[in-house]
Amino acid sequence: MTADALLAQAVRGWLADFVDNTYLNAQEASADGYESTRWDQLRDLGWHAVTIPDHLGGGDATLAEACVVAREIGRAAYASPLLATMRATVVASGGAGYFDALVARIAAGAPATLVAPPDRTVTATPVAGGFRLAGEPVVVEWAEVATEVVLLVPAGGDWVVGVLGRDALDGRVSAVPSVDNERIARVALHGAVVREAVTVPASAARLALAGANLLRASLMVGGCADVLERTARYATERVQFGRPIGGFQAVRHHLARMVIATDAARLMVDDALERLAEPAVAEVASFTAARSYVELVLTSAQVHGAVGTTTEHVLHHHFRRAKAMRSRTGTRALRLRELHDALVVHGEASQW
Amino acid sequence: MKAEHLEFLGELRAYLDALDPDLVAATRAEHIADAMQPRVNGRRFLARLGADGWLGVSWPAEYGGQGRGPVEQWLFAEELCDRRLPNGLLTLNAIGPTLMAVGTDEQKAEFLPRIIAGELEFAIGYSEPDAGSDLAALRTRARPDGDAYVIDGQKIWTTGATVATHLWLAARTGEQADRHRGISMFILPMDAPGIEITPILTQGGEQTNTVFLDNVRVPAGARIGAENEGWRVLTTALNYERMFYHNEPRWELRQLRDWAASAGLLDDPVVAETMGELAVDVEICRLFAQRGAQMLADGQVPYAEASANKVWWSELRQRICDTGLDLIGEAGTVAGPTGPAHGHLEHGLRSSPVWRFGGGTNEIQLDIIAQRGLGMPR
Ligand SMILES: Cc1cc2nc3c(=O)[nH]c(=O)nc-3n(C[C@H](O)[C@H](O)[C@H](O)COP(=O)(O)OP(=O)(O)OC[C@H]3O[C@@H](n4cnc5c(N)ncnc54)[C@H](O)[C@@H]3O)c2cc1C
Repeated sequence: MTADALLAQAVRGWLADFVDNTYLNAQEASADGYESTRWDQLRDLGWHAVTIPDHLGGGDATLAEACVVAREIGRAAYASPLLATMRATVVASGGAGYFDALVARIAAGAPATLVAPPDRTVTATPVAGGFRLAGEPVVVEWAEVATEVVLLVPAGGDWVVGVLGRDALDGRVSAVPSVDNERIARVALHGAVVREAVTVPASAARLALAGANLLRASLMVGGCADVLERTARYATERVQFGRPIGGFQAVRHHLARMVIATDAARLMVDDALERLAEPAVAEVASFTAARSYVELVLTSAQVHGAVGTTTEHVLHHHFRRAKAMRSRTGTRALRLRELHDALVVHGEASQW
Repeated sequence: MKAEHLEFLGELRAYLDALDPDLVAATRAEHIADAMQPRVNGRRFLARLGADGWLGVSWPAEYGGQGRGPVEQWLFAEELCDRRLPNGLLTLNAIGPTLMAVGTDEQKAEFLPRIIAGELEFAIGYSEPDAGSDLAALRTRARPDGDAYVIDGQKIWTTGATVATHLWLAARTGEQADRHRGISMFILPMDAPGIEITPILTQGGEQTNTVFLDNVRVPAGARIGAENEGWRVLTTALNYERMFYHNEPRWELRQLRDWAASAGLLDDPVVAETMGELAVDVEICRLFAQRGAQMLADGQVPYAEASANKVWWSELRQRICDTGLDLIGEAGTVAGPTGPAHGHLEHGLRSSPVWRFGGGTNEIQLDIIAQRGLGMPR
């Protein structure tokens, strides 16, 4: 077995021990949305810090390995600050060593999150001793739980990577209900000043975002895989008119479309992980994974019929997570315009 | 639409506009949360309509109705739906007319006056764990016992069972192997001894139920139609159910419009193109529904046409919510009243799968269109 397969198996095994729909429902209904004892276990296993260098206390591994962890989390529809933490880590690590102390705290177990509004609705301008932020309130995953808040926003031609101290966030964070089982808050950043910050060129910011978004894309690929497997299994078990519904051509065609959509997402994410220097590929992967995951849950709901709509079936978590994760990639049309610009206008990502 | 229909719509609107605003607001809030079962306020609202003679628009005058046609009935359902108010659902629009067609004089006398008064609410007991699309596989058994039946079995997805006064039940009186030829229809009071209800919550917030029937005893007079000929009764009711056209797509598109207006995005080119097409499809939705109503008015029964309407309507609802959230972007991850479009699109998306398979799955509707509509071989 490859190292990736072993890692996947380990993460899947860990999750399988306690995650099922009943557990997910209970966590979603709980005050915190996750169990901090499970977070401690994750930390002890090092899965929250896969990409953090050895000397900062992390696993010293590649983004691809972090994506293996994300994929398994996505499969299980498990909600926790893990994805947000990994995304924040990727961006903070792009700060050329400036944020080593923060990254080390993450490695030690501090949950983190990333403020990087997908539609660039927040901007920064230099002021004495830092950068002042301007823009509409944004939605941030696990903003209430995260002790480390990393920021990546445009500032003129450059971008700013910064750290928002809890004091800078005081009174600016209000929890709001999420469409899915993750926790979110509205964060009003207008007027806030970021003191710990560095500027990076737009190209570096784009690469950092691409890496962070590949983590989410991997999570969605995991979600697709789980939904597909469950649906295929159900189609062999559910009997109507004297035969398994998978015997009806209409259902078979649904399943086949689900296979195609899952493969498209997985192949694209794998390709992006092999071509990390080309952010356009990751951007395509992020779009594809989101599109596939939503298609998968809508079709799966149709194949499951009534059984799939109850809160007693894990599909209701995937259903909401797919749409929420897609929404977290921002306005669909803006992503398509960027892709058009990168792929069509500038010929990025092309191998021919 | 004909002038007389527009005139009717005007009258209806004037009546609805004049209703007690508190009653309307409370009913609407309840209906938006779960449109599948009128509860405290919905029952009060329907009773008000009943008292004012506005239930039974298409019921004949001899049963206390307004004696108008299917087109007016459709307009009535649409208008209430557009206002997100209950319209009497299956009780008024499917069970009532079915009883007129196949009920005995006693049954008509017992139920019809109370249905049209808005006093009764029926839950529909067709589906079972192993009988979904394949309804003729149902196993709930009704055994004759003297001049009564004793009923045992399990129904599922029996929506409204906790608020209903009666259960409209399909049960097996013949052999299992007889499939649809061994089924009879019954009306049971919901509080009959031996009925136990367990709630099921759906991701869309609609509550439905499992209904267990354990030695439930009903008089033979509770059977609707002849023994073992319930399938005909059931399909009659299902045919009336096909008259069910709702205005949710229009309402949901309006929520999206209100969001776009408040975000100052009504002239954004992407918003404009997306909503432009959705608006076109909402108009088509109206025409598919209107065609079905007109066919009924002309004494024809819409089959393929009703299926086309159902497929179009259910897919459009899902698409409006899905693409609407894509326009909204990141803020669309916020659920509930503080979210964009007050959470209606997100809620609508969670509710949308039910309509693609409920009331006959879209796969089966497509087969009907191809087979009954186009004459394709089975
Ligand atoms: C919220 C809610 C409320 C409901 N309310 C009621 C109610 O009040 N009363 C009631 O009796 N029922 C009710 N139902 C049940 C509803 O009528 C059924 O869900 C519907 O009949 C489909 O059955 P099923 O869910 O068992 O799906 P299945 O029949 O198991 O279908 C699963 C999949 O297989 C496909 N399939 C099945 N047969 C074929 C075929 N021959 N050809 C091609 N594809 C096929 C279907 O299209 C679908 O995609 C409700 C359901 C829900 C979710």
